[in-house]
Amino acid sequence: MQRRSFFQVAGATAAASTLVLAGCGNDPDPEPVVTETVLTLGGNGDYGILNYAYLLEQLEAAFYQKVVATPPTDLLPGELTYLTDLRDHELIHREYLKYLLVEYTSTGPVSRAYDAALATPLEFNFSSFTLTTRAGVWAAAQLLEDIGVAAYNGAGKLLVTGTNLLALGKIASVEARHAALAHEMLQTDSFGATIGPDGLDDAKTPVEVVALLQPYFPVTVSAASLPTS
Amino acid sequence: MNILKLLADLAATTPAHFEQTSPRRAALGELGRFGAKTLAAALPLGLSAVTAQAGTTTTRTALDSLQLALRIEQLQNALYVRALAAPATFFPTDASFQSSVVKMQAHQQQHATLLTRLITASNGTVPAPATYDFTGSKNNTQAALFPNVLTDFNQFLQLAQLLEDTGVRAYKAMTEFLSADDYVLQTALQLHSTEARHAARIRVMRRQRGAVVEAWPSPTDSSITVAGKTDVVYATENATTQLVFLNANYMAVPFRLLPIGSGANLLTESVPEAFDEPLTADAVEGLLDQFTY
Repeated sequence: MQRRSFFQVAGATAAASTLVLAGCGNDPDPEPVVTETVLTLGGNGDYGILNYAYLLEQLEAAFYQKVVATPPTDLLPGELTYLTDLRDHELIHREYLKYLLVEYTSTGPVSRAYDAALATPLEFNFSSFTLTTRAGVWAAAQLLEDIGVAAYNGAGKLLVTGTNLLALGKIASVEARHAALAHEMLQTDSFGATIGPDGLDDAKTPVEVVALLQPYFPVTVSAASLPTS
Repeated sequence: MNILKLLADLAATTPAHFEQTSPRRAALGELGRFGAKTLAAALPLGLSAVTAQAGTTTTRTALDSLQLALRIEQLQNALYVRALAAPATFFPTDASFQSSVVKMQAHQQQHATLLTRLITASNGTVPAPATYDFTGSKNNTQAALFPNVLTDFNQFLQLAQLLEDTGVRAYKAMTEFLSADDYVLQTALQLHSTEARHAARIRVMRRQRGAVVEAWPSPTDSSITVAGKTDVVYATENATTQLVFLNANYMAVPFRLLPIGSGANLLTESVPEAFDEPLTADAVEGLLDQFTY
């Protein structure tokens, strides 16, 4: 099977299973659902990695949207402005990547976004975070931003096209600034916590990143079909 | 290298270049050649706006790029070494400021060591340590930009911010010349995000001391540059338009039409903040020259 058609099947699977699960919610005597929903990130060329980055940005944008909608009551002066800025940056990143995921074919533009066929976007699960305190919010932000930076650092070499490398690089350093800010909000002088003894920031493979982020995804996400070199 | 990447590289490679291409794992010895992606990325360029965003008015080799990176790291390291040698009264009483500079100096030293190793491994010439004048007076031959840089902590932070933000932009621009080798490319990206974390910390320190500045370059930051000398550090950084390569053309992302929210300053502040821009090697060299004689 070609990578692109496999990718489309995977997207369709996520859509169908979401509908099944939604139907069960209103059923007074639901049947056990044995279908496991798996989102397999893939696609030809750079579309797999761009989808991976798109998923990361969706997650971060949804996180800050939730925080800004119901901010903790103990935020310090200026912190809600920071969190609002972070939300806006991530929303912009998300839509920028979705725009990059449009392929111009002989029959017109086609979205290669993994969720283009979904009726509703994935709803992420932040229940393991403590979002009622400023410390909990900044700890969660630090975790997500650090993973995001390591993801971009590990993904660059997996891209085929130089223009996409630059497109992700423009985002990656802003994520690193976000991450350092979150560290500083929690603990002064902790901006360099992810820098190793060789002076290098962290880098992770897509498989490593997806494993770390799986608790926040409503479906099982597989990065096994993404390139590894 | 996966097969798709290989095919894409081959498609963008001239026959002469193809004959020179060696196995990727041996590429450390080949850093002086032009990367296949350099050629691929150079093809669609042409418009001045595109060139500014692509960051590449000059074609560089991987070796040139690593040598420039080393010069940046050496300059940053020297600034922090001199600051840490200044009288104790130079640093604020809050010990976290000095502690952060200690950490950054250690990182820059590690970066310089790493880059030296990469350059040496590819039989390149390691740039000789330069002579620096961090006031920007070029050894009293022009007006100083930061006359009290090693006695006034605020001036020191301003210069540190300029150099760290320049480092971020320089690494971002050079990734396209380093993409032929996975190890070198990933290392450059890890250096890139380290510089970004430094820049954010410096900016937060300045903010704590009352400066109007965000943790990321923003149109709302108060200016700390001098026209014709240091303003290159933020030239094109506050772009309100992002050009992406789609359908064999550069196209402006229509943020106005996308669901990014409805804040009053989204298009004029949030969009420029959300992207860090590359800076050409020529521009970076011009900035380094202001503090070298």
